[in-house]
Amino acid sequence: MKRFRLRFVSRDTFARNVRASFSLSVRNTFETTPKWMWIAHILLTSFFSMLMFALIASYVGNPEVTVPYVVIGNAVQTVSFTTLRSIAEIPNREKHTGTLPPLMAAPSNLFEVFFGMALFNIFAGLVSATAGLMYAVLVFGVDFSAANVPLLALIIVMTSMSMTGLGMTIGGVGLHLRTATILSNITSYVGIVLCGVNFPVSYLPQWAQALSATHPLTYAVAATRGAVGGMSLAELWVPVSIMAFLGLFFLLFSMLFFKYFEEKSKKQGTLELF
Amino acid sequence: MHDPQWIIPGIVAPFLFTLVMLMIQQDSDGPLVLRAILGGGVLGMWGNTIFKSSESIMYDRRNGTLEPIMAALAGLNDVIIGRSLWNALVGMLNGLLVLVVAESMFDANVRIADPPLFLVCLLLTLLSLAAVGMLFSALFVYTRRGHMLSSMLEYPIYVLSGALVPVMLLPEAARYASFLLAPSWGVDAMNMAADVTYTHSITGGVFINLAMLAILAVSYYFIATALLIKIERDIRRDGTAVRF
Repeated sequence: MKRFRLRFVSRDTFARNVRASFSLSVRNTFETTPKWMWIAHILLTSFFSMLMFALIASYVGNPEVTVPYVVIGNAVQTVSFTTLRSIAEIPNREKHTGTLPPLMAAPSNLFEVFFGMALFNIFAGLVSATAGLMYAVLVFGVDFSAANVPLLALIIVMTSMSMTGLGMTIGGVGLHLRTATILSNITSYVGIVLCGVNFPVSYLPQWAQALSATHPLTYAVAATRGAVGGMSLAELWVPVSIMAFLGLFFLLFSMLFFKYFEEKSKKQGTLELF
Repeated sequence: MHDPQWIIPGIVAPFLFTLVMLMIQQDSDGPLVLRAILGGGVLGMWGNTIFKSSESIMYDRRNGTLEPIMAALAGLNDVIIGRSLWNALVGMLNGLLVLVVAESMFDANVRIADPPLFLVCLLLTLLSLAAVGMLFSALFVYTRRGHMLSSMLEYPIYVLSGALVPVMLLPEAARYASFLLAPSWGVDAMNMAADVTYTHSITGGVFINLAMLAILAVSYYFIATALLIKIERDIRRDGTAVRF
């Protein structure tokens, strides 16, 4: 039996391949979507998702789940929608447009190609979270007077990066599936229930709380709420470091997934199955 | 039904929104529970309409099946009417599924105050959704970014539909936008028929709501028909059946 092993390339080659994929991804995005529409999509989706849950919280009137509580949770959650879903969709899109086989025939490995493409979505996640936090202040009147802004910025960058890791893992599985869309959508939608976005995690049954502990968004939401409340990095190091660890773990895991499913898809001839 | 992605806007998302509302509520009884469960059902119907309409003709263009459809004896308009009705019907099944799962999970013991009237409101709301589907299908033909537009419209429509939060509790600007959507009147009528204690009705009378729903749905139908006739004429004249 052939041994399964990862092929490591030199740092220069890796950087060059990732850079090339990143440039192509940016160009492709704006070739098919006008810039105004790309921005409008992020801004509108962020705003209306926050508005919907803010209205629900206000309507239900649970004193523990206030409008600011929900608004901050959803501002962070928008990163998940923007980053995780888009990244997981990349292999799916290549499969549907018939460009996956040529990519697999290229000298660079698939992980490098898709990681380069994914980097642009980290930026998209940052735009989305920044817009979300701006809405929180300007539209929903959340008090940011005590907020630790530099820490908040750090948490948002780390959230976007950790979601990239999770998105890449799902994208890797998507290589073998007919479509990764369902898996990526379920993972991001489930976040609104599991990760303390709209109500405390303690409301969930025990098994769901255990599941919640494996999702980077849970720690991102908790850390963001802490930073908005004025807490320091020393006070928030636990959620911040767990989020970073999970992001890195998923990213490394996705390398294995890409390699494994790349070989499996080649063997079974399921590359263009959809 | 060829593409399994429909389960996300049709079932998964509405069910999770219902779940969020029920979890925030922390109580499995009372009018808010009824609203959350019915609202989830309505969102299931809406989600299916938006998602399927966005790809109705675009899918044919991409796969080269628009030409055979255009060559068929039936007009494009008739094809779209049939599809919209089917999508709305599947949407209702999604809605019922969300309702049944939420009801059984939370043991909410949902009771409808006036079942026959509720059924009438539901069916008319379904027809109005089909009219919305027709209109969206026609509008999305003019763009190759239907998926992106439908994704952009997803949350605004959820908010404006009044499914989870009554229309009269929306911010003022959103409320006026909501009045332009036929299904919002239907959802409000369904709430009145289901719950006698419902105090956030737009008009206070089920039949006034249903009349508004009918006027708007018929208007959508005529606008969509006019658009589809124009599209069919343009496509035949310019030979752009498969350009997208």
